[in-house]
Amino acid sequence: MRFFARRLAFYAFAVWVALTLNFLLPRLMPGSPIGGVLQRLSPSQIQANPGIIKTYQALLGGGSGSIWHDYVVYLHRLAHLDFGVSTSNYPSHVSAVIGRVLPYSIFLVGVAFILSFVLGTAIGMVAAWRRGGGFDSVIVPVFMALSAFPAFFTGLVAVYVLGLKLHWFPIQHAYDSGLVPGFNWAFLTSALRHSELPILVIVAAYAGGWVLNMRTVMINTVGEDYVAMAHAKGLRDRRVMTRYAARNAILPPLNGFAAQFAGAVGGLVFIEYVFSYPGAGLTLQQAALGNDYPLTQALLLVFALCVIAANFVMDLLNVLLDPRVRTG
Amino acid sequence: MTVALSTLPGEAAPVAERPVLEVEELVVEYASRSRTTRAVDGVSLAIAPGEIVGLAGESGCGKSTLGNAIMQVLRPPARIASGRVLFHGEDLVRLSGEQLRRHRWRNVSMVFQSAMNALNPVLRVSDQFVDMMRSHERVSKRDAVGRAGELLELVGIDRRRLRAYPHELSGGMRQRVIIAMALALEPELVIMDEPTTALDVVVQREILQQVRELQRARGFAVLFVTHDLSLLLELAHRVAIMYAGEIVEVAPAAALRDDARHPYTAGLLSSFPPLTGPVERLSGIPGSPPDLAAPPSGCRFHPRCPHCVPGDTALHRRQVAERPVLREVAPGHLVACHLVEEGL
Amino acid sequence: MSQLQPTIELAPATTPAARTRLRIPGWPALLLRNPKSRAGIVLVGFMVIVALIAPLISVSNPTDFNLLAARQAPSWHHLFGTTDQGSDIFSQVVLGARRSLVLGALAGLLATVLATTLGVLAAYSGGVVDEAVNFLTNVFLVIPTIPLLVVISAYLKSRSMGTMIVVLALTLWAFEARILRGQALSLKNRDFVLAAKVAGESTWRIVFGEIMPNMISRIAAAFVLVFYVSLLVDAGLEFLGLGDTTHVSWGMTLYWAQTNSAVLQGEWWPFLFPGLALVITVLGLTLILAGIDEVSNPRLRDEVRRRGFLRSLVLPVRRAA
Repeated sequence: MRFFARRLAFYAFAVWVALTLNFLLPRLMPGSPIGGVLQRLSPSQIQANPGIIKTYQALLGGGSGSIWHDYVVYLHRLAHLDFGVSTSNYPSHVSAVIGRVLPYSIFLVGVAFILSFVLGTAIGMVAAWRRGGGFDSVIVPVFMALSAFPAFFTGLVAVYVLGLKLHWFPIQHAYDSGLVPGFNWAFLTSALRHSELPILVIVAAYAGGWVLNMRTVMINTVGEDYVAMAHAKGLRDRRVMTRYAARNAILPPLNGFAAQFAGAVGGLVFIEYVFSYPGAGLTLQQAALGNDYPLTQALLLVFALCVIAANFVMDLLNVLLDPRVRTG
Repeated sequence: MTVALSTLPGEAAPVAERPVLEVEELVVEYASRSRTTRAVDGVSLAIAPGEIVGLAGESGCGKSTLGNAIMQVLRPPARIASGRVLFHGEDLVRLSGEQLRRHRWRNVSMVFQSAMNALNPVLRVSDQFVDMMRSHERVSKRDAVGRAGELLELVGIDRRRLRAYPHELSGGMRQRVIIAMALALEPELVIMDEPTTALDVVVQREILQQVRELQRARGFAVLFVTHDLSLLLELAHRVAIMYAGEIVEVAPAAALRDDARHPYTAGLLSSFPPLTGPVERLSGIPGSPPDLAAPPSGCRFHPRCPHCVPGDTALHRRQVAERPVLREVAPGHLVACHLVEEGL
Repeated sequence: MSQLQPTIELAPATTPAARTRLRIPGWPALLLRNPKSRAGIVLVGFMVIVALIAPLISVSNPTDFNLLAARQAPSWHHLFGTTDQGSDIFSQVVLGARRSLVLGALAGLLATVLATTLGVLAAYSGGVVDEAVNFLTNVFLVIPTIPLLVVISAYLKSRSMGTMIVVLALTLWAFEARILRGQALSLKNRDFVLAAKVAGESTWRIVFGEIMPNMISRIAAAFVLVFYVSLLVDAGLEFLGLGDTTHVSWGMTLYWAQTNSAVLQGEWWPFLFPGLALVITVLGLTLILAGIDEVSNPRLRDEVRRRGFLRSLVLPVRRAA
């Protein structure tokens, strides 16, 4: 429990750092971002929302008050999930925009990340178990080569070859135009269909890392005495591989879980851009290009919170899978 | 200081019927791209039911490799190049994967060198017992756990420790757990590879005492591999001395202690102080074990042998050119040495 | 091959303690001997040569537009085809090599200096300093780099190369610092460091004279890692439209291809060639990294430490009494 208390304290601190970084970034930059925001709002919009300038001053700086005062107001706003109005989606609130796009991203990165983890570690496990065998010398290099490609380049090639030339997958957007998002069969199947290629590309880009990690650790684990003893005990080969070798070998790669996830979240920006997939990543890119600072700021916070959550999941998995962490 | 073991060295070995295990002309090689090393080179050894056979030698002489080869848990690049390992007359080297799996642990079990690493760190002790039992017989998990508890009590551990993870046990307890595991299926032979090396002297004595008691109560045979010859002289019925991949001398423990014939055995005996009596000068053996990839010609011990005097003598020519073979010098006492053959 | 074999030289046996010292032709030779890093060096070397001779083989102004020659597939006249503005893609790719290589190398250098100083000092000093640096790196690792860089690029008014180098180094140093700190921690309690401490050497002397030379391979590996990550991230940011539109680089060529929906129009050349240039560079650097790892694997590293030849490359070897 002490372990959890320490971790939670760390996460709380990390969240605070992310919040503060968000507060300081626009204030540290040369020029005033608030100017960029106000340029995009028409006088009538400002008139319709008398508080709008104050909100942005709190979020981005540029007000007359002291920085400490701004900081308090900023935290107060965030506590009420008030990120202001998105200038590029006027008059939608930032929180509404995020609420609309985030589910797509969570689905995409969630499925793809878990798939690449499961696939990658399974391949790494078998490759190390039959080291030097056909599987090890063919499948592993293929995944290594794929992961050496920048994700967006793999995406572009996939769009061109698998989508445009072979017509195997739809190549743009999250669902067929003409459908209205909602819980109905037509929409869900269309959404699933559209997510296939992006997921494939993410898996191709990130599974290789798991393959390599798992294979390296597993090769060492196979040489451990407890694996030899498991063999000597007359256990079936498959059981020795999974319950003795792989079960231990998975622990070190798992410690890279959060870092890998952070990488995948970053890659999401590129993948969504390539596929015009309307998730949080594409929205971040659009907001950054359109100087929609309130939206970029809020999205950065969301991304950071996702990675912090992934760290927490990693800790949970570690405790679940490694008894030494529990008692030690 | 030392706790005497309950067995006296001179205690008679069980009357040898058909051996449980026979190793015949076994050769184990480590092959790398550039060279091949013979870690075990033409070893023959038989173990009778209920017999404790000690296998001693310096580190790197191939004694652990021999143990692993008998258990068939050699790891690549090590492999059995030739020879046979017979269990009640059946050649283990020829068994198929599934036959071998069924044979292991049920017929021959093994206590591994390092208690620290032989247990899976992420599984409870009970799970490691259950895994093993259910790989060999149809038994409910409940019954398996029950039997595991009895086995733990047999080696003096509270059965509640079944729920523990290996890191929650002391080194001595872990080794006892492994011994309990090794006895679980009542095998006829238990290979013990330096089972107490990592433990402190007091715990070491307790465990050896226990092994001896269990062995007498249950009657299994033991192949006890260690570098500690003094320990074997107390524990074993018969002792084999290994040097550079070969067995150079085999004798009943008492005969070996009192009448070692091979200069290497004599060297080993003189490198530890007698347990009783005045401490004499320890002579030890000069030099270091040979490189097994390029072993010395003739008798492998000749470069270190105090009786190998360079000169134009027939003996020296034989020592550097001819491999000595094991010959019986007394009932049950075999030596591979040119000096013995020449009657010196 | 044989001339690359390390030559073993016995020190004059004046004292019984005289030990063998290994003299080797140095790092480049070691890396050239490893097949992976040799392949990597060939790939990266090729790119460096392309970058050097770029002005000789490209047209005078690669952003010139010529609507009559727009959207042409590769031909003898335009080896890599033309953009929708009719610019020559071959010229853009060869000139773009300059930005990627220079930016990657400088960002890698800056981040390495930061990470090495902080990581090694922290590990050596221990206590509060170590806790603080460790905490800081962990916090940095929690904030996702790409989104952070996207936001920073959005705020930045100037997206010049200098700015990007500083920004990339400041966001990527934490990865390196963590690796190097771990390595330094394991070296800290080795005999030779303890001996230097007992001999009363200053902290700086121990850190820079004893610890760092022994982790040269790790530092080099970390440098190569940041090198390729930053050139990749930079190209990625440009691809997203966050680059300087007046400049020629692989990322910008990709950006224009994406903005003009080249892929959807069935044009493969505007993204394939700059993409492949990126892949070749990154692959080359990854191979060098793999080679460094192999050359400095534990077994070899043990040998290195025992014989102290890495130290002798950096400092004249001092014999401990």
